[in-house]
Amino acid sequence: MKAMTTKKLASALLVMIASVLQCTPAQESAAPRDAFETRRMRLIDVVSRERDRSFNTVTAKLFSGNDKTYALTVLDSLTTDESIGGMFYAYSAIGTYLKFRDQLPDSMKRKIRQAFRARTMYRGDTENHWVMYYTGMYLAAQTWPHEGRSEWFNGKSSEENFREAEGWLNHWINLSSTIGQGEFDSPTYFITFIAPMLTMYDFANDPLMKRKAQMMVDLLFVDYAAEHLAGNYCGGHSRDYPDDIANPLAAPSALWAWLYFGEPKMELWQENRYRPRNRGSWETIFGATSTYRLPEIIYRIATDRSRPYVHTESKRVRNVIRFGREMNPPVYKYTYMTQLYALGSLQGGILQPIQQHTWDVTYASDKPNNTVFTLHPFYSGKELAMFFPEEQKFLSDEVNRYHFVYTNPNKWNSSSPFEQTFQHKNALIVLYDLDETAQQPHIDGFFPKNLDEREPHNSGWVFCRAGSVFIAMYPLKRGEWIEEGPNWRWRGNEKQNGVVVEVGSTIEDGTFEAFKDLVVQGHPEMKHTRESVGLDYTTRHGDRMSFMFGGERILNGKTIDFKSYKFFAGPFVLSERGSGIVRMMYNNDVRELDFKKALVREWRQ
Amino acid sequence: MATIEALLITLLLTTGMRSGGSLIEAPVPGATRDYYAAVFLNRSHVSVGASANIGLFRRQSDTVWKNIYRPNLFTFGIGMWEKGSTRRYYIAAGNGVHRSDDGRASWRVLTDWRTEEVLSLALDPADSSRLYIGTPLGVFRSADDGKSWQKKSKGMKKGFVQKVVMDHFNRTTLYACSEDDLYYSADAAEHWTPLRVGVKGVMTVVQHPVDPAHLLVGTEDDGVWVSFNRGKSWSKGSGLPPSAIYALSVSSDTKTIYAGGYLTGVWKSMDGGLHWIPVWQSDLLEAVYTIFVDQEHPRHLMIGTSGQGIFESFDEGVTWRHAGLRGCHVKQIELYP
Repeated sequence: MKAMTTKKLASALLVMIASVLQCTPAQESAAPRDAFETRRMRLIDVVSRERDRSFNTVTAKLFSGNDKTYALTVLDSLTTDESIGGMFYAYSAIGTYLKFRDQLPDSMKRKIRQAFRARTMYRGDTENHWVMYYTGMYLAAQTWPHEGRSEWFNGKSSEENFREAEGWLNHWINLSSTIGQGEFDSPTYFITFIAPMLTMYDFANDPLMKRKAQMMVDLLFVDYAAEHLAGNYCGGHSRDYPDDIANPLAAPSALWAWLYFGEPKMELWQENRYRPRNRGSWETIFGATSTYRLPEIIYRIATDRSRPYVHTESKRVRNVIRFGREMNPPVYKYTYMTQLYALGSLQGGILQPIQQHTWDVTYASDKPNNTVFTLHPFYSGKELAMFFPEEQKFLSDEVNRYHFVYTNPNKWNSSSPFEQTFQHKNALIVLYDLDETAQQPHIDGFFPKNLDEREPHNSGWVFCRAGSVFIAMYPLKRGEWIEEGPNWRWRGNEKQNGVVVEVGSTIEDGTFEAFKDLVVQGHPEMKHTRESVGLDYTTRHGDRMSFMFGGERILNGKTIDFKSYKFFAGPFVLSERGSGIVRMMYNNDVRELDFKKALVREWRQ
Repeated sequence: MATIEALLITLLLTTGMRSGGSLIEAPVPGATRDYYAAVFLNRSHVSVGASANIGLFRRQSDTVWKNIYRPNLFTFGIGMWEKGSTRRYYIAAGNGVHRSDDGRASWRVLTDWRTEEVLSLALDPADSSRLYIGTPLGVFRSADDGKSWQKKSKGMKKGFVQKVVMDHFNRTTLYACSEDDLYYSADAAEHWTPLRVGVKGVMTVVQHPVDPAHLLVGTEDDGVWVSFNRGKSWSKGSGLPPSAIYALSVSSDTKTIYAGGYLTGVWKSMDGGLHWIPVWQSDLLEAVYTIFVDQEHPRHLMIGTSGQGIFESFDEGVTWRHAGLRGCHVKQIELYP
């Protein structure tokens, strides 16, 4: 009875605190906040000195007052040139307008208004396209309300455009906060979600939409934070460019980590090894000039790697419009995070077309190309037709025109129906079972040349060392090593193949020799049947993993039940799939995003 | 004369003709009527911005087509509704159904995000307020002039609908090409029944203009299938390669039926679709998306292709000329008043 009373009291107290906090932006303690302020002002200053023709440099210049005349010239050009348009333009143009409307001459304001009248804001066909498009349309319709159909490029009135944008954005927020994004955890495309949501947070008049946008920014950041290591976005990715996969700190997400998490410590744009891609990431200016401030708990989650942990997620497949049984089948993520490295994987199969990155080891490093992974370079018109409405017979060729490498046998991003994984902590089994329909009859492994050691061992293991991180890979079948620019390509030409991966470090294993000694004792036992490929493997920590391609994943005699995966599960983030409640935890602090009620709650446990 | 022949042979060799019809370059006088083309992609303009140079095109002269609406509209199809002096133009596009009520001076998007891409549309000739669209999510119907849309896929196993077509003889009868079958509705899309073609991936359907029970479907991997009893039984058309057929058209003579698809070239059948003979096969033709047959001049044909724009023939496909939009995926060609 007494216990119940205490519980009731605690609940009542929680409700009181929650009600106080529900509209209050989370506060950050002085030190990280001050450091953020320094970084954001530094970024604004650097970008304001750029000369490229983009809304990013215009924003930096107008915000800082540095070279305002040039900024207005660029803005004039951007609003006059009708060869520019689409969803990127839609949210950037209205964001710039709203941020600087007090500074812009009336003629410029009229030009931006005219762009939404005369120019087609192409909506596109991906999740990130729609987020950018509908954010742009929502804010534009809010800015110019009560205008008739003839005043908008799509023949809809301000009211109609506003309601449509609001409807879809609410739909997307609901999906993303309950079963996840389809374009989840993408180092390349992170900017295309975070920048529009920051813009929405800054300028939505409706307090409810403003709060939802703030919660989405929180969610995007904490999703990143839980798999963040020294600027790297770790774990499996739905979509990623090959350059970003092979050189993780060159991905646009890295500069967002620098700005908000303070890592990596270096200014990426100063580094030639990362600079080319990061110069394309000045969208961070939307963060640097935003009023949004990262809750300290997310900063702590992103940067505290004092203890290793397992973090799992369930996300969703992009809308399957053909050849599938359900629209958004679940994606299961498993990531093992440590102070020095992360090993992360998706379960395999076709989870996203074109740019999937199923697994990798990514390690903290002061060298580029700090990752090791394998893949099967799959392509098929049918795969694309699952997600795109065009004729499947030549979809591959058309996609090649945009993404250039889709049918390339040497590509570094791919989903494949012939690839499956099974991960337990820092051990991973990847199986490949290619049938006669696989156009590329090989699998490839990426090994950076700048590894300190890469030693094929007579036990069959390949041992690698990158500073204090140790990586062991056991190919089930013999392969060949091909030297390329920044990497060695390990190529296996057997159709039934696979690799076992163990990752360690000086912290866990002491020395490289000790790591190797332990690993070689765990010789994988292949279970190669006529129908399939599989193996039994005992990890260096004594866990027994058994896995047949297409079969169950069995750990220490117990079958892994993917259906039990939560939306988020780990020491820092917890959410039941479908609940819409995402709880962040750090030490005794809790921040809870309740998307069903559009409330933010914070308390100390 | 010999010089012209030599020139023609050179042209044929250099333009990749394989068999059947031949390709000519000479302009044909009197070919400039009011034609419209739906352009889905332009391989010369890979862009998602404002300048992809795709959308609704109108023919200006022999080989010159002008984009008359938006330069970046991924256009799957076009339609026109006419009664008395009222004329409405429609576009089925990546961002929905567009309609113009004022002779294409202004346009309005009728759908919203719920329908996603609109792959085809079917207009009720007697009632302009009633519209049907085929989408990746199924069939949608509007009964109030496009103000609201209801999903109408009851009875369909799979959602994806490549094409929805209205029966020529009965406004409440519709056909829908789905990834798993051809479906039939007798009650204005309220309920759908599979017609059990027996082949997955139905890409297109055409109903014979004289015989309502005579149906032909083009399939993803298995050529053309024909039914003479409104789908009770089906026969496979012979002669065609086992490939995708995207285009089927019946000539105004009601006897000649044309077909085209992926790596097939142009074919025709004179027996209702049971047997097919090649009309024009060429390396230029990766895919034939659409075949336009001039209902006033049945010897006049136009085909919309993938990446090669439009080809035109004035002699039932014996000779062909390039008719513009090179680089473009042309999904539909229509002649409107």
